Parts: sequence; C-alpha cells; structure tokens
Amino acid sequence: MLAEVPSATLLGVEGHRVLVEVHVGQGLPGFTVVGLPDASCREARDRVRAAVLSSKLKWPDTRITVNLAPTHVRKVGSGLDLAIAMALLGASKQLNPEALKGLMFLGELGLNGTLRPILGILPLVDSLSAGRVVVPAENLAEARLVRPDARGVRTLTELVSALRAEEPWPDLPVRESTSGPAEVYCDLAEVQGHPVARRALEVAATGGHHVLMVGPPGSGKTMLAERLPGLLADLDPRGAMDVSRVHSAAGLLRVHNGLLTRPPFRSPHHTASLVALIGGGSTLLRPGEVSLASGGVLFLDELGEFPAAHLDALRQPLESGIIRVARANANVTLPARFILVAATNPCPCGVGQWGECRCTPGQIARYGRRLSSPLLDRFDIRLAVDPPEAAMVFAAQRSGESSMQVRARVERARMRAQERGVSSNRELRGEALEKFAPLSDQGRMLLRSRLETGSLSMRGAQRTRAVALTLRDLEGTGGPITTDDLEGALLLRGEEQQIGVLA
Amino acid sequence: MTQVAPKQNPSPDLPHEAYLTALASLDQVGPARMRWLLSFGSPQVVWQLLRAGKIRNPPAQLAVKPPQLTEWVAQANSADPQQIWSACCALGVGVVSLGSPGYPPALAADIDPPVVLFHLGNPDLLSSPSVAIVGTRRATGYGLRVAEELGAGLAEAGVMVVSGLALGIDAAAHFGALSVGESGAAVAAVVGSGLHAPCPVRNRKLASRVASSGVIFSEVPPEVSGAPWRFPVRNRILAALSDAVVVVESPGAGGSMHTVREALARDIPVLSVPGPIDSRASEGTNRLLSDGAEPCLGVDDVLMAIGLGGKQANASPPNPIPSQQDSRPIPDEAGERALATIGWRPVSVEHLAARSGLEFQQLASTLSWLETHGWIQRTGGWIERRARSDEPERLRGRPT
Repeated sequence: MLAEVPSATLLGVEGHRVLVEVHVGQGLPGFTVVGLPDASCREARDRVRAAVLSSKLKWPDTRITVNLAPTHVRKVGSGLDLAIAMALLGASKQLNPEALKGLMFLGELGLNGTLRPILGILPLVDSLSAGRVVVPAENLAEARLVRPDARGVRTLTELVSALRAEEPWPDLPVRESTSGPAEVYCDLAEVQGHPVARRALEVAATGGHHVLMVGPPGSGKTMLAERLPGLLADLDPRGAMDVSRVHSAAGLLRVHNGLLTRPPFRSPHHTASLVALIGGGSTLLRPGEVSLASGGVLFLDELGEFPAAHLDALRQPLESGIIRVARANANVTLPARFILVAATNPCPCGVGQWGECRCTPGQIARYGRRLSSPLLDRFDIRLAVDPPEAAMVFAAQRSGESSMQVRARVERARMRAQERGVSSNRELRGEALEKFAPLSDQGRMLLRSRLETGSLSMRGAQRTRAVALTLRDLEGTGGPITTDDLEGALLLRGEEQQIGVLA
Repeated sequence: MTQVAPKQNPSPDLPHEAYLTALASLDQVGPARMRWLLSFGSPQVVWQLLRAGKIRNPPAQLAVKPPQLTEWVAQANSADPQQIWSACCALGVGVVSLGSPGYPPALAADIDPPVVLFHLGNPDLLSSPSVAIVGTRRATGYGLRVAEELGAGLAEAGVMVVSGLALGIDAAAHFGALSVGESGAAVAAVVGSGLHAPCPVRNRKLASRVASSGVIFSEVPPEVSGAPWRFPVRNRILAALSDAVVVVESPGAGGSMHTVREALARDIPVLSVPGPIDSRASEGTNRLLSDGAEPCLGVDDVLMAIGLGGKQANASPPNPIPSQQDSRPIPDEAGERALATIGWRPVSVEHLAARSGLEFQQLASTLSWLETHGWIQRTGGWIERRARSDEPERLRGRPT
C-alpha cells in the first residue's frame, strides 16, 4: 500500500535528498503529486503513467498519492520520474518492497519506458548517502565519478526484470561522452611579440590577479586571454569536484577521464542576460557564467558594452568568491572564484592611437564612465595592448616559452601562496599583506615617493604590493619585496586612468 | 497679438540693457538678428513693437522664417524684461552695452562689436596687451604642453591670455596662465554659452577660477545654453580682444581656423605653433605656417609679435631641447636605449618592450628610474618623453 524510495533534486549546484512516498489506496481512481513540485515535476504524473503502461506493467485503478518529502524544498525537473515509478510499483505490489531496499533512483522517463539522462547527476548522486544509485545509462559515466558502484539502466522494463531477479542487472559499458575532444588550450608559444603581456599573463595566473586589457581591435586581447587558462595549474581534487559539479548542473560536463581537472575558460558575450551571467532563473536556479568560470578564467570582451548592472553584479563574486542567488522560495550559493580578464577598446572609435583617435574628449569621458571605478579598482594588472608591428609578425618566428614551461613556474610559485593560507595572492589584504609582503627599505621609499607625487593611491599601493609579492614568488627566492618587484608591479599596474587617450 | 497686459507696462526705471538682455534671450537671436531688430529703434521700442507683432519682413540673409517670428512675438508677450533683468542682476552677472562707459574699448572699435556684453569677474582687468591662445579640443600631449607653457610664459610677461574655456588647448592655456598666480597678468575668457550655463560642464571649476582672477565675457544672456552656432560667432570677440592670436594645434578645419580668419579680417597677427607633419592635430597649424603665418617657437616669438621687447639677453633659442641647464641625471645605457626607442611621440609599453629589446625586469626598472627623474611621463598606458625636467606636469586628470 505504501512505499518509499530515496531520490534527489537539484537546486543551484547542490543536490537535495528527496524521499518519494507513494500511497496506493482505496478511493476514486486518481493520481496526485504533492510536496512542492514545480510544473515540470508535476508533469511526471503523465510520463510515469505512460511509461508504466508501455512497459506492460499494471496501473492501479485506485487512488494514488505521491508525496515528495521534505515538502518545503522546491522540486524541479523530471529527475524524480524514475523514483516515482519505482515507489508506485512497490506500493502496488508489482515489485517486492524488499527488492527496492537500499536503492536510490534518478532519471527521467520517456512515454515508451526508456530512461532519459538528466542534468546535474554529479551533485545529485553526491548528495545521496548510503545505498546504491540507479541512473539512466547515459548518466552512468558521470555518476561513477563519485559512486563507482552506481548502476545504469536503459529502460523501465530492464530495471523491473532486474529487480524481480528475472534477469541479471545489465552490465553496461561506461559510455564516455563523445561530443567533442578534450578542451584544447591555445599555447603561449604562438604569441608573437607582446613581451609585457606574456609576463602579465604569467603573473595573473600565479597570483590570481584580475587583468584589464585596453587596446584597439585586432591587437590580440582575445588571443592573449584565451591563453591564460593554459598557464593555470591543474585543479586539485576538491577544485576538480567543485568545477565538475557546476558543469554537471549546467549540463555541460563531458566525461572523459574522470572529473574536470583543467581550469575552465568562459567568455560570455556582452548581450548575455543578467541571469545567464550571474545564475538564477525562476525555477532551476542554474549556475551562471561566473560560476561556470569558477576555478578558471572569466573573459569579458568589450567590457564597456556590458550593461552597468551586470558589471556591478560582478562585484560580490569578485570580492567573496561566491554568489548568492535568492528567489522568493529558494536561496542558493554558487561558487564564483575566477580570474577576471576584461578587454576593452580605449575609446568609442577603437583606434586609440595617439593623434589618430576621432573621438571628442566628451565621448571618451562618457565611455570611461561606463566602467565604475569600484570595478576598475579590482584590476591589479592593466595592460595597454598594441597590435604587433607587421615587421615582427612576419619576422623569423621567434617563439617564446610554451605554456607548459610557464605553467611549471606558475605551479611552483603558487605553492608559496598556498602556504600563506590563501588560494592566491590576490586575496591578501591589509595585515596579511603587511605580514607576508614585507618591504625592503628601498622598496618602501619607492612606494612612498609614488604616493607623494600622487601617481599612486593608497589602495593602488596595496595592490602593487600584492602583485610585487607574486613577482617575488615567481622569482622563487623569498625575502622582502625589492624595488625590482615593485617596479615590475608598477609597470603591470599601469595608469589609474587607462581607458581613453588624450588625443 | 496686440493684447498688452497692463502689468507688463515698461517700468520707467528699467535700463535699456534690460531690454537688450530680453531681446538677446529670444530663441535663436545672434548678433546679426539683434542688429536687425535694433534697426527698428531703441531696445525698449523694439520690445514693444515685437510684442505688438509689428516687426515684419526680415531681410533674406537672416533666414528668419515666419514661424520663428511668431515664436518671438509669443516669447516677448510671455516674458517680462523686469524679471529677466532682476534674474540677471541676482546672478551677479555684469551687463554693458555698446556705447556705455564700461564697454571694453577694444570691442567698441571693432568692425562687428557685440551690442550687449555679459561678464563675470572684473572687466577693468581687461588690459592691453593681450594674446588669444586657441586650438583644438582634441589636442595631443604636445599641444597641451605647449599651450600651458605659452599661457604661463605670457602671463608671467604681463600679457593677458584670452581663450575660449573649451576643452583641450583652451583649458591648457587657461591653466598655464592661472598657474603664474598673483604676479602674472589677469586671464580672460570669451565663451559661446551663457555665463551660468557653462559649456563644457567639465570646465566649470576652471571657469570660476578664471572669473575670480580675471574676467569671462559672453554676448549670450546668462542662462541661455550654448548652441553649436554660437561658438564660431564668439570667435570674433576673442580675436577682437587680442593683439595677437596663437594657434597651438588645429586640424585643417575647425573653430580655431575660424578665429584665425576673424583675426586676419582685423589685421591682427596670427602665430602658429609648428607640429609633426603627420599629426592630424597639427594639420591646420602647419598649413598656416606654409601660408605665411608667423611661426611660434616660444613665448618670445609672441612677445615680439605684439611689440614687447626682443629676445632675452642670453639669446638662447626659445625652449631649447634639450636644455643646456638640464639638471636631470644622465640615464644609463638601458635608459638611453629606452629613450631612443620612445623618441618624441607617445608609445605604448608593449611597443617599447618589443622595440628596445629590454627584458621585463630591466624595462620596469628603467622606466621607473626615468619617470622618477623626469625623463618620461605616463598617460593612460602611453609613455611620453619629457623634453625638460622643469616642464609643467601634463594636464593629466585635470581638475575640472
């Protein structure tokens, strides 16, 4: 009469355990689902009924009540279909309730009884404790990343016969996703010229410093940004899990050899909606681009073209590494710890060359005002990117260091930062900076003189120090911050007023 | 049309400047239309005629369309000269009309004098000699620097600097002249918008500085905003107030070229600052030079042009580059290499790094050294070589 089957529902990038209770009892024939299901979840009624009938199973002509507990958590999507069907079969005595013990079900049902894959298998499976998880065959590879004992099935019939011990459990090969090869990273060795930018990328990768690139179209801003992930170290197991969860929840996880281990690179277009960028939506609370870039690089090309509201929404994640998305009946925290790389033209006409620019000072001022100074403040590295000269492009291909060579240096230097208890030097503030980045006497003098001439603000001086510490880490020798480090940091920091040329 | 509200009857004690202000406040009235309106009689009479709709048949060259005339009649009937006048007085704006005692003599003798002139500050400071420094709003670092130096040098020599309070060269010239302080000559500006509707707004602070240590003129009533056509019109006042006009930087066509034409029409000497021949901002000034304008290589040239003494005793060329008295320490080999790569035009760091072949660390240290010792300056991602150490800081992040 009554059966319970554990399953899970997705909210943000977290799975939440849901107990599916089905009661089959006296009364007028009917089928109701209660317990805060959303529209797609309530549609399960029709899918489950059709799937049960198509699989030559009996549909009880009595009153059927499905309860999804806990009832205060909103249930979204079709992932509970399979669990509802199994609980129903148990309650109507078509399956021995004993056979269902210790099993958990995830999956969407087709009308013909086939099992369809669902989003977010990784966090869903992860949220289910003791017991064996049964998932659609296509989700098996992903489920096995966290539960090597997960079982995959193709159809409802197959599952029922296995549970009735009429047939053995299907021994499915783990089908790895074949769509597209592994992410190919562009190599830094392909970059012609740009000696300062190369160094800037290395420093950004090491210290996690946000980078602003200013330059005319065709100067190589995008090309440089794309090469930053290749310089980042592989994700550690926890990072890999976090990144994979987000990608799984967004339906973007391609399973090849386990979890994602390379830092992601996301470059949303400037027409992206606020929800697409930040995450949310009325029902599913999907992770947005900032979360998908978590652990890697978020590249915003044409920064000035992004609506001001979107850019200001970036300030919380830039500060805290997470983003809180709140809706009337749901509230999730999504990871958002990324290196922000932004590119912009120097002025509306884009030329930005001294004397060639056709913009009026007013236009340039308006263009610069689009970027709020709190946002610009977050960029520790501000690069003026120039198109390389034609002579250099076609000169003998003097290739620089490859990404692998640089990455090795970055990894070594990053270890030092982690010894300080932060994931990157970017996060060092105030006292921590005072403690970990002591200045040499000459270094102190240099900073003081820059402060006095007004070419550096107090905050600028602090950030310069953090970048100098990263340069020191790359040097690998330890000791207090020298003038050399500070000078390098000052060069990378560039001007406070980077956008707009006075020409 | 002919209804005249009794309460708007002219007060007998209202000066005729009040009616001039009211007439000048009418939509789209500039000096030429004003002159035509005043051909009907005294300002007060014209105002009454206008209210009665008795002013008709504008000459064709004024291009006053009938709807415009109707608009004026409506405006004249709804506006009260008394109110306009007291508002103008309340703002602290001085008003002089052609022929009145306070009217600047330089303008009174002009071929096209403004009928009414509004001013902020002290118009008595308007003194001979005076020099107009004009140029493009889209100036290069070079132009801004030269304008500022000329402004300072002329003010120091007791020459009143006149400019238009626009962005770019104008503002740089004003800043330079103001930088001399009390010891220098007063500063004057002629603007194309109303004195209480500053245009551009970014120069509002600068405008109040000019007003407090000099004078700002406008022929537009205080609260009328500046329409584009008013700016070329004001250029004639700028030229008329000056003993010489210096164009620092200007593209081939532009407001500065208009001022030059106004100056030539008044037989006022025009000096032009040479610039790189491939710089768009120097296109007009170089063209002026090739057309025979006096070259302006420094303050002395301007002083010569207005008949104020010759070269100074040391007879060194103006603004020698590099100056013999350069007090900066000599850069090391890397510094020399960087300076040679920078040349005399702004370059980006990336360009410098690629061209000079200096390693990142060496480049960083070299640039830092050069900047500290005044050899270079950085602006918005660009690096510029500085000709002299005593040269004023460029107008970066200019106070507005």
